[in-house]
Amino acid sequence: MKFATFEPAKERRSGPSEAIILFSVSNQTFAIAASDVQEIRSTDSLSGTANEIDCPDLPKVRHTIDRARQKYYVVNAAQHFGLPVSRPTLVLILRQLRAAILVDRIDRMTEISAAYPLPRAFTGEERRWYRGLTYIDDHVIPVVQPAGFLTSQEFWRLEEAAHQASQRELEGARL
Amino acid sequence: MNAPIDTSMNARPTAAQEARQSFVLVRIGERRFAAPANLVAELSPPVRLHRFPHTTSLVSGVIIRRGKIVPVCNASDIVGGRKSSANLFYLIADGSAAESGELVAIPVNGESELVAGEIRPAEQAAPGYICGSLLLGEEAIDVLDLRELAKALETNAELSRAEGQS
Repeated sequence: MKFATFEPAKERRSGPSEAIILFSVSNQTFAIAASDVQEIRSTDSLSGTANEIDCPDLPKVRHTIDRARQKYYVVNAAQHFGLPVSRPTLVLILRQLRAAILVDRIDRMTEISAAYPLPRAFTGEERRWYRGLTYIDDHVIPVVQPAGFLTSQEFWRLEEAAHQASQRELEGARL
Repeated sequence: MNAPIDTSMNARPTAAQEARQSFVLVRIGERRFAAPANLVAELSPPVRLHRFPHTTSLVSGVIIRRGKIVPVCNASDIVGGRKSSANLFYLIADGSAAESGELVAIPVNGESELVAGEIRPAEQAAPGYICGSLLLGEEAIDVLDLRELAKALETNAELSRAEGQS
């Protein structure tokens, strides 16, 4: 992961631990495993390289970016989590999934010893969104599940929309 | 209430006490209820409620109690009455009360007390989460079936989610 401002941990705790990135969206803090993030870029650096995509039933995805000859879908995290509209400044490009996540800012990087399972009283979409909860500095923070940002069905719909858009472009070029 | 009641201490009851069950009297919204003391893990002070985005309608967040993450379920939405943050405590229902086997916190208001009494059968028209009534002086107080209440909370959450999706 390319992340220039990361400072090495000052103290090492015994036992297994996991490096996580704390990020904010609409004043809400989330955690994501550092190993799930391939790269963090500013949204400014993407201007000009991002392409628009029109998939009306998935308003959380409005752009795609091309990386290593692959199309990455850009998910607005505020819309994904049902939070008020925010002004994202960074994009987290995920490692295992062709998705990039628009977030407001990175708070810091830290290590956790465990992500506690989400209590079973939570029965909604959050079961897909989060792989657990962690407790850092008196705050309970959800640890996001990268695969929760886009389901395979949503991917399929986006692929379809992207394919149709490229077809329209080709037809336009022929005319 | 000055101090939280910890009912997890297993003091051995006498035979007379066993015949008369113990209940914790709590106020949920505007109504008083009795909860079987053996299913109440703790009455916790108003510790910090941690919120994060989710779509389960009757869960407002989580609290941390004794190193555990405990979901807070808004029982007042089920049993009726207005929500109030005045003199807030959390009744933490023992894990055996919920199908998940996990602790569940229910916000309660005002004074709580531990009483002993005999439970009388519930009225036929009573909702499933009322398992009887407790006569205290001239007042009949509904006894909560915490297992059924936990089920009702889960069912209600599923219903409101289905409504949201449609």
